[in-house]
Amino acid sequence: MFDPYFLQQLAIGVSLGMIYALMAIGFTLIFGVLNVVNFAHGEVYTIGAFAGLMAITAFAPPLLVVLFIALAAGAFAGFGLERLAFRPFRRFSDEASLKSRAMREATLMSSLAMSIIAREAMELIFGSQFQSVDLAYLINKPIEIGPITIVNGDLIILGITLLMLAGLQWLLKKSPIGMSIRAVSNNALGAKYCGINTDRTIIFTFIIGSGMGALAGILVGLYYGAIFPAMGFTPGIKAFVAMVMGGLSSIPGAVVSAMILGLAESISTSFMPSVWSDMVAYAFLLATLIFFPQGLFGARRERV
Amino acid sequence: MKFSRRTLLALTVASVMLPAASQAADSIKIGYQLPLTGNTAQYGQNFKDAAEIALAKFNASGQIDVPVEIIYEDSRSDAKEGVTIARKFVDDDEIVGVLGDFTSTVSMAAAQVYKRSGMVQLSQTASHPDFAKISKWQFRNITTQNQEGAVNAQWMIDQGITKVAVIAEQTDWGQSVVKGFVDPFKELGGEVVYTEFFNRGLADFRSIITKIEEQKPEAVYTGFFYEDGAQFLKQVAQLNADIPVYSTSAAYNDKLIELAGEAAEGLKLTATFLPTRTDANVTEFVSEWKKGHDNAPGQFPAQAYDAVNIMLAAVAKAYPDVTRESLRDAVAATKDFPGVTGNTSFDENGEPLKELTKATVTGGVFVEVK
Repeated sequence: MFDPYFLQQLAIGVSLGMIYALMAIGFTLIFGVLNVVNFAHGEVYTIGAFAGLMAITAFAPPLLVVLFIALAAGAFAGFGLERLAFRPFRRFSDEASLKSRAMREATLMSSLAMSIIAREAMELIFGSQFQSVDLAYLINKPIEIGPITIVNGDLIILGITLLMLAGLQWLLKKSPIGMSIRAVSNNALGAKYCGINTDRTIIFTFIIGSGMGALAGILVGLYYGAIFPAMGFTPGIKAFVAMVMGGLSSIPGAVVSAMILGLAESISTSFMPSVWSDMVAYAFLLATLIFFPQGLFGARRERV
Repeated sequence: MKFSRRTLLALTVASVMLPAASQAADSIKIGYQLPLTGNTAQYGQNFKDAAEIALAKFNASGQIDVPVEIIYEDSRSDAKEGVTIARKFVDDDEIVGVLGDFTSTVSMAAAQVYKRSGMVQLSQTASHPDFAKISKWQFRNITTQNQEGAVNAQWMIDQGITKVAVIAEQTDWGQSVVKGFVDPFKELGGEVVYTEFFNRGLADFRSIITKIEEQKPEAVYTGFFYEDGAQFLKQVAQLNADIPVYSTSAAYNDKLIELAGEAAEGLKLTATFLPTRTDANVTEFVSEWKKGHDNAPGQFPAQAYDAVNIMLAAVAKAYPDVTRESLRDAVAATKDFPGVTGNTSFDENGEPLKELTKATVTGGVFVEVK
C-alpha cells in the first residue's frame, strides 16, 4: 500500500489541499461575518497574482516584497469591493432590512457583477493568455525526500497557511478588532446595539480576507507559473466547496475540508481517468451535505 | 501651343482612364473570409497580414498581365456570418475563388454554400476530418492528426522507442490526436501502455505524471496546446520524471518555451513551419513579416501565406481563362508547391500531402531535426 507511488500521490494531494485551503481561509472569513458569498474573491486572488507579476516585471524585488505587494493590492481591492458592491446594500440599518433575504441576495449578485467586470477588464488589458513570468521567481524547485519529490513552494505554502491560520486565530481571539469581527459575525444587530462600529468591522474583515486571497493568488501563480485573468475561477469553486463542507463559517473546518478535497483529487486519479477526479471532490460535497447538513465542523455554535 | 495643350489633355485623360479601365475589367478577384473582430480576431488579423505579403509579391512579379485583388470579409468566427459571406461571394460573379475560414465550424457551414454554387474554397486552418470531404470544391492547407501521428510514430520507432504513454486533452481534437498516433504506432509494432485524457486548462498534471511514471514508458506522446504543454513540461521537470516528450504542431509556439523555460528542453514535435529554417522563401517571408510585427510569424500565418500563394499560383496557371471551374481544377492539380510550410500537393479529397518537419527544443529555440 505505502509504496513510493502512493506516497507521491499523497504528497501531491496534500500540496493541492494546501493551495485550496489558502484560498478558502479568506473566503470563509468574509462569509462568516456577512453571511453572504463573496463571488469576487476569485478575482481578488487574480488581482493579487497580477499585482505581484507587475512588481516582478517592473523592478524585480525579492520574493518577500512581492508577497507584501500582493497583500497590499488585495487589501486595497477588498476595501474597494466592499465599498462598491456591499456597502450600498447596507444603507438601511433597520432590523427588517438587516434580516431581509432579498438584501442578501442582491449583495450576492453585486459581488458577482464586480467579479465579471474585474475579470473582463483584466482580459482587455492583459489578454486572456498566460502571462510570462520570470522563471527565477517560480517556487517549483524540486526537493527530494526519500522516494518522493516535493517542491520548495509546498513548504512555503504550508508555512504561510499555518502562519495565516495561527495569526487569524490570535487576531480573532485576542485583538479588539478580532473580537468585534466575532461579535458582528455572531449577531450584527446585537453588536451594533452594544456600540460596535459594524461598518468599520466589515471593512476590516474585507481587508484581511482579501489580503489573504491576494496572497494565495500570487503564491499559486508562482507555484504553477500560470498567471492569467481566469485563474481565480477553479480555485474559487474549490474554496467554496471546502467552505460548505467545513460548515460555512468554520475556518479550521474549511482548511480540513480543503485537504480532503486535494487528497481526493490526487488519489482518485490513480483509480480512474483524471477528467473524473473533480467528480470525486463533488461527491464528497454531496455526501457531506446529506449526512452532515451542518457541514463537518458547522455544528458548533462559535462562528468564524 | 494649341496642339501641345490638346495632346496634354488627351494624355491626362488617357492616363486617368487607362488604369481605371483595366482595373474594372481585368482584375481577378478572390474572396477571403476570416475573423477580423471577435475573440479569434488575432488569428484573422495575422492571416490578412500574411495574405497581403503574398499578394503584393505576386502582383509585383508580373506573372500574369492583370492584378489580382483579395476581398476580405469579417466572419467573426460565427457560422451564421460565415454563411452570409459565402452567399455574398457566390453572388458576386467577379469572384472566382475563396480562401478561409479560420475554424472548422465556420468553414464547414460556409462550405455548404460553396458546394451548391461550385466555388473553390481553400482553408488555411480548418482541420476537422470531414471538412475536405464535403465536396470536390473544398481544400485545406493544414495537416490532420492522422498525418502527424504517423510521422511521430515512425520517429519514435526510429529512435528505438516501443513503449509509449499517450495523453491528450478531452476534446474532439484530442481524441483525433490519440487515434492518429495509436493506430500507426501499433502497426509498426509499438505498444501503448497508458492512455489518459485531461480537461483543457488543468492546472496540476502531477498526479497524471506520477501515474505515467508508474507505467515506465519509454516516451510520452501528448496532444495539447502550448499553455497546457508548458504546465505539463514544467511539472515533468519538477518531478524529475526523465521521459522524452513528443507532441504535435499544436504545441509549437515560442510562448511555450517562454513559459516553460528549461523544462521545454528536449521536447520533440512535428511542425509544418519553422521560422528559423534557412530556405530562401522562408527567410523572405519572415523578413517581410517582421517589417510589420515584432515577433517571427507562427505556424498559422505561415499556413495562410501558403494557402494564398497556392491560390495565386492556380490563378496564374488557369490564366487567361480564369473561371470558377478552371480555378478549381488548377488548385486540385497543385503538385509539390514549394511553400514555407513544406511542399504541398493535394490528394483526391483535397487533403494536403505535406512533408512534416521534425523539431526539438535546444538552447531555448525550436530547431529542425534532420
